[in-house]
Amino acid sequence: MPEGDAPATPAKTQRKKKFKWRPWLRALHRDLGYLAVGLTFVYALSGLAVNHIADWDPNFTNFEREFVLEGPLPDDEQQAAAIVMSAAGIEETPLDVYSPADGELEITLETSTLFVATKTGKVYEEGQEERFALRAANWLHLNRGKKAWTYFADGYAGALLLLAVSGMFMIPGRKGLMGRGAVLVIAGIAIPLAYLAYVGGP
Amino acid sequence: MTDPAPSLAKTIARRDFIRKAASGTVIAAMGGGLYTISDHLTSEAKAQSRADGRARVPPGQRVISALKPMGGQAGDPARSSVKIKVHGEVERPLELDFRELLGMDAIDTRADVHCVTGWTMLDARWKGVRVKDLAEKAGLKDSARHVIFESAHGYTANVRLDEGLADNVMIVWEHDGRPLRRPHGAPVRALVPDLYFWKSSKWLTGIRFTRRDQPGYWETRGYSNHADPWKEERYA
Repeated sequence: MPEGDAPATPAKTQRKKKFKWRPWLRALHRDLGYLAVGLTFVYALSGLAVNHIADWDPNFTNFEREFVLEGPLPDDEQQAAAIVMSAAGIEETPLDVYSPADGELEITLETSTLFVATKTGKVYEEGQEERFALRAANWLHLNRGKKAWTYFADGYAGALLLLAVSGMFMIPGRKGLMGRGAVLVIAGIAIPLAYLAYVGGP
Repeated sequence: MTDPAPSLAKTIARRDFIRKAASGTVIAAMGGGLYTISDHLTSEAKAQSRADGRARVPPGQRVISALKPMGGQAGDPARSSVKIKVHGEVERPLELDFRELLGMDAIDTRADVHCVTGWTMLDARWKGVRVKDLAEKAGLKDSARHVIFESAHGYTANVRLDEGLADNVMIVWEHDGRPLRRPHGAPVRALVPDLYFWKSSKWLTGIRFTRRDQPGYWETRGYSNHADPWKEERYA
């Protein structure tokens, strides 16, 4: 009986079974990908917002307005402030009411400040409203909080490196690193290098 | 009816996508070109020179018509909370509240400012006091070599003493005839017009004179220690 015809025993079959690492790599890539979704949105959206900081304020919407009250305001700062606030349609309690000089009154609120010329009744308000989600994303991205967030940010950076490396080896053959994958990887590396060469380095 | 040649249809779809993407890129680039051509403010200002012979607009800058808010961690905006410290290498350290600042000889002046991100604002109007006058009031020691502008949340910016005491270097509380706005550093900010604008610390809390240089927030994060716009000293 030729050797090849001998029935394989279960033990032999197990020994012949090769370890397939690609499914594990794909699973790792997939799960890291899921994990990175939240922070990718935070960093990407904040990156877009802050990249164009010269064109807009990524943290706040800024506003100002002017109006004039009738007649001089009372000398008492609190009374004057109450009249101004009422005329402005503001109901919150001021953080501060301050007269830096004769005829000037400043009412500081949470998101704006009213500058009042008490003799003429002229009021100038300037302030800013928070873009809540973007401001939070920018705060995290710029690591304003420091401390523990540094560890999360480092972990995310490590996860991105793992995603990049695992992504390269996920698919075999012509669409993997032996073909199109290699072209795209080289293109991705060449773009920053070409730019550096074009601008003459850092 | 099924598609007789799905692979061909995919190829056509891909080509269509690439064609559209390329068209979009060309249109966007043309838009940028038109924008550049129509930038009269910049082209007019580029023909002008300053009194010191330098170009009115430093290289790589585009002229805009209003200050842009550039972010940062805001401090307390209330003028009542102002306490500007003038300290370090001085004989008589000062702590000035807003009324005391108003009591000094305020100057209403115009100055061009240049942001490292590429915008320049010409003839911006400012009201405040000269750092030189504050230094004199505090009795500046001969040992001082640098000026450190200190701001809320530990932000600092360093400037060489000779540049920090220039006639156009001030701390200001009004811009364009109005109280300084929150995004621009209310209630008080520094103004160092001849260096990139990050040296003009917003939400100012103090001016410290030092013997040795102490690079500040951006200077320790890859930006130039000196920051001369005419030499394009943007990065370290």
